[in-house]
Amino acid sequence: MLAQEGYLTIEELKAAKDYPSQERFGKGPVAVIECIQEIPCNPCEMACKFGAIEIGSPITKLPRLDEEKCKGCGLCVPKCPGLAIFVIDKTYSEKEGTVSFPYEYLPLPEKGQCVEAVDRKGKSVCIGTVVDVKNIKSFDRTAVVTLAVPKELTDQVRGIRRGSGSFEMDDDMLVCRCEEVTLGEIREAIRQGARDVTGVKRRTRAGMGLCQGRTCERLVQQILRQELGGKPEEIGANTARPPLRPVTFASLCGGEEEQEEERNEII
Amino acid sequence: MKSYDAIVIGAGAIGSSVAYHLAKKGMKVAVVERSDLASGTSSGCDASALICDKKPGIDTKLGYESIQLYKKYAQEFSYDFEFHQRGSIYVCESEEELEVARGYAAAEAADGYPMRMMDSYELKEAEPNLAQDLVGGIWTECDSSVTPFRVAFGFIEEGKKLGLEVFPYEEVTEVKMDGGAVSGVVTTGRELRGKYVVNCCGAWAPFVGKMVGLDIPIKPRKGQILVTEKTDLLVKEKIQEFGYMLSKFEDVKYERKVSRRVEEHNVAFVIEPTPAQNMIIGSNRSFDGYDKRNTPGAMKALAERAIRFIPKIKDVNIIRAYAGLRPYSIDHLPIVSAVEGLPGCFIAAGHEGDGICMAPITGYLMSQVITGETPMFDIDRLRFDRFRDEAYLKTVAEAYES
Repeated sequence: MLAQEGYLTIEELKAAKDYPSQERFGKGPVAVIECIQEIPCNPCEMACKFGAIEIGSPITKLPRLDEEKCKGCGLCVPKCPGLAIFVIDKTYSEKEGTVSFPYEYLPLPEKGQCVEAVDRKGKSVCIGTVVDVKNIKSFDRTAVVTLAVPKELTDQVRGIRRGSGSFEMDDDMLVCRCEEVTLGEIREAIRQGARDVTGVKRRTRAGMGLCQGRTCERLVQQILRQELGGKPEEIGANTARPPLRPVTFASLCGGEEEQEEERNEII
Repeated sequence: MKSYDAIVIGAGAIGSSVAYHLAKKGMKVAVVERSDLASGTSSGCDASALICDKKPGIDTKLGYESIQLYKKYAQEFSYDFEFHQRGSIYVCESEEELEVARGYAAAEAADGYPMRMMDSYELKEAEPNLAQDLVGGIWTECDSSVTPFRVAFGFIEEGKKLGLEVFPYEEVTEVKMDGGAVSGVVTTGRELRGKYVVNCCGAWAPFVGKMVGLDIPIKPRKGQILVTEKTDLLVKEKIQEFGYMLSKFEDVKYERKVSRRVEEHNVAFVIEPTPAQNMIIGSNRSFDGYDKRNTPGAMKALAERAIRFIPKIKDVNIIRAYAGLRPYSIDHLPIVSAVEGLPGCFIAAGHEGDGICMAPITGYLMSQVITGETPMFDIDRLRFDRFRDEAYLKTVAEAYES
């Protein structure tokens, strides 16, 4: 794929055998080196203070990552001239993981901003929240952006759409379709003191409708983070309540036969 | 350290109302809430302000006067708490129930409350979706509905205009004492000084009581509720089965012919339309500690009982179930009171399922008690002291036994 289309696939990466194990992902942040072309290049080897990346000789060899030695510090990320190293943290929170990637465009996104996350191909996959932007002198103008995205997308997301953070969201935009709650109303609820998803729900009815927040919950979470910052744990989710999906009164009672039996059981 | 005249603990419907009414008296008031406003029982309940589910006497008086205040505040407040006065209907399944209902309605009407009997013909005219075999009911004209959490938000927002200060997400960890009197509270965020401290923590009031050595006999009683999808109005106002009295009061004795499931889960049919066009279906009551989860058995029983009274509801979807913890007190009367022997300490809690209904009057009366005015009517029976009277406790226990 790389040769024909210009981007890698996860299958190609896994075939190259250096993708960290699920076990290692479970322990915290770790570097993912997406470099499968034998080119003469070795700054990553120098960048790692823990000796976790090895190229050796000749210089055209592919980098090997010792996942046990890697601390996930991310110092290698801005050093790779091919922008091919990422740090993935699948332990960030219960539902989200983070992807740290090199970013060489201006303007830089800002912490707390919601942006369009893209995969290796450049295709938009979800809205992510920028949780960190590092641009220190030793990075030599290759900033490292850390983006929080749903955990299951951390193997896919590798960047953001340029300028995607600056799009203006209109207060008239409908967020909860079932109860017809707009962005403006949600922002007003946050001004009135809502700090979490249920607080917004009580004040606006967002998430109280037919879909029970399945559609708007993530949007409400993102709006809360945009307005207040904070971790997903603090923002929370709708309280999980039965039934899982709408069910009629008759079905809940177990159908007509069971009802008939119940009625016969009258005491 | 900030200093106040009064500190209210708890920002549910009761605490917000107490805080608002104290601010209205010109006091400098702070309200402390361990979570978000109205995030406990006030967002796990139904939406009614009724007198038809009260006992004749002070219980009904509290409900009635509270509805009058709601009506007034609906005009005055800039925050809409969705007050609607549509009346309510009690429906009877049998002649036997109808007989008890007649006695009850007559007693309430004799006290001057707008309650009267409906025959089965009138019932069918008023609510064609009700089961056709119902024999009659009680019509209570003054009964109303509000949106509970909006009630709390409303009192808080109006209170803020009068200088009320709110400290959400701060839990009280200590009630300060000075020379035998209450002198303030310590929260997870700060220390506040105050001459009066009002415990408005509902089902959690005993925990705050303990901080000053009080044993407040309130326990959580769980109620589960079903919410329907938005639907055509199945009914125009709140409708309850008369058996509700049975599930609420242990001393109202007569037996309904119901399935084991309904009996086991202490379910009585209640339906009310909401401004959002969803129907709320109740009700059940159970003692389950502080467990707020819904149980499949109770949900099934609720659905079964709903179909019995509104057959057409069988094809309507349930989109959500929820539960709340009602602050149950043994004699079914709230505590709206000073605490004898503990200057500065006040309690407004223990309303069980009537907290939303009684929020305005509770705040109003509490503010009168705190400022030392004569309450607008006799509330001697709401004194905390009654629970220290062995003879009274014995009478109550006997009345509610078996």
